[in-house]
Amino acid sequence: MSIDLTFIAQIIVFILMVTVLWKLLYGPLNDAMEARTAKIVAGLAAAEAGVEAKEKAAAEIEAQLEEARAKAHEIVTSAEQRAAEINEEAINKARGEAEQILDSAREEIGAEAQRARQSLRQEVADIAMLAAERVIDAELDAKRHSKLIEGIVKQGFDAA
Amino acid sequence: MAEQGHSGGIAEHLQYWSYSFDDSNPFMQIHLDTMLLTVGIATGLILFSLYVRSRLVAGAPTGIQNFMESVIDFINQTVKDNFPVHNPLVAPLAMTIFIFVLLCNSLDILPAYLMHHVAGMFGLHTFRQVPTNDLNLPVAMALSVFILVLYYEFKLKPGHFLKELLLQPFAALLLDSKNPVVKILGVILIPLNLTLKLVEELAKPLSLSFRLFGNMFAGEVIFLLIASLLLASNLESIMSVGGFVSQLAGLAVGVGWSLFHMFIGLLQAFIFMILSVVYLSIAHQPAEH
Repeated sequence: MSIDLTFIAQIIVFILMVTVLWKLLYGPLNDAMEARTAKIVAGLAAAEAGVEAKEKAAAEIEAQLEEARAKAHEIVTSAEQRAAEINEEAINKARGEAEQILDSAREEIGAEAQRARQSLRQEVADIAMLAAERVIDAELDAKRHSKLIEGIVKQGFDAA
Repeated sequence: MAEQGHSGGIAEHLQYWSYSFDDSNPFMQIHLDTMLLTVGIATGLILFSLYVRSRLVAGAPTGIQNFMESVIDFINQTVKDNFPVHNPLVAPLAMTIFIFVLLCNSLDILPAYLMHHVAGMFGLHTFRQVPTNDLNLPVAMALSVFILVLYYEFKLKPGHFLKELLLQPFAALLLDSKNPVVKILGVILIPLNLTLKLVEELAKPLSLSFRLFGNMFAGEVIFLLIASLLLASNLESIMSVGGFVSQLAGLAVGVGWSLFHMFIGLLQAFIFMILSVVYLSIAHQPAEH
């Protein structure tokens, strides 16, 4: 139970052991632990950043969707308006054409009636002439009296 | 019977296997058993470190790495809780103290006479199996820590430490008083201050080493007592009824004391470590003005 050379030797053993264990055991393990801690911290930060980025992206998508929806609505509205315009135009055009057709038909009918009236008048005059010739005999000069008869017939038609 | 068989044995078991360089000078001897065991433990620790280091993985640790990391984490936490500033030396020092002292103390779990008998096979008559029982080891470690404490005291706050050494606890007499008589009294009290402070400082390594040594030495003596009082030394005494009962009692008491002593060994390793950290931390505390 005395202090002797063992004491000196033990100091050397102790100091050597502290040095060697520091380099071989504590150092590597502590470095590994610190590296892992740093990695975990970085990982957590990255995960948090990822969540944030995801939220941001989701918000962006929502905004873009909203914009697209608004655009689509606008397009549909303008298309509907255009369709209504086209429809209106077509109806107007058709109506104009129909009017035109009716007008020309009316004109044609008028002309035809005129023509028919003219030829009827001619025929009636001819018949009247023939009848008068027959009635007052052959002495009556056709050329001389035709004018008179035509006048009578016209008068008769106008009266009719 | 048993008492007679081992009564001379207790003193015999407390002898060191030593080699003397100079018989006239008791200092000039070396305890070969302590040296063998500590160098053995140190070599084992270094081989273990090399093994752990070769199997280090960066990812999730398993097995031995996991265990060592939890030990280091515990030590780092202890140092961090006690230390005002970061000093890279303290945690490895604390780790070495804790593991080394714990391993030395744990050798006490071996049966009391085992090492002695193994050494006997090699023709040795004395062999101490627990190196921390040898006062040289705790004193060597405590003194190393103390020298480190002094080094940091002088390095970090030389003026403050000298002032404490010479003027505490009567610093106010010399520094604050305007009365010349009181000032002279302050100067006269310097030797007293120095004595008080030296006692205070020297008590640190002394208590640190003797606490460990005393606990472990007492533990071993109790083991030897249990063995010498209760265990039979020959077959005849076991065969008798009293001898048989005594064997059972001896085993029960021995196992009980082993468990308790293991706990003490762990506790002493922890106390040695934490006190070293605390002493170093006091040296690192900023000087109060």
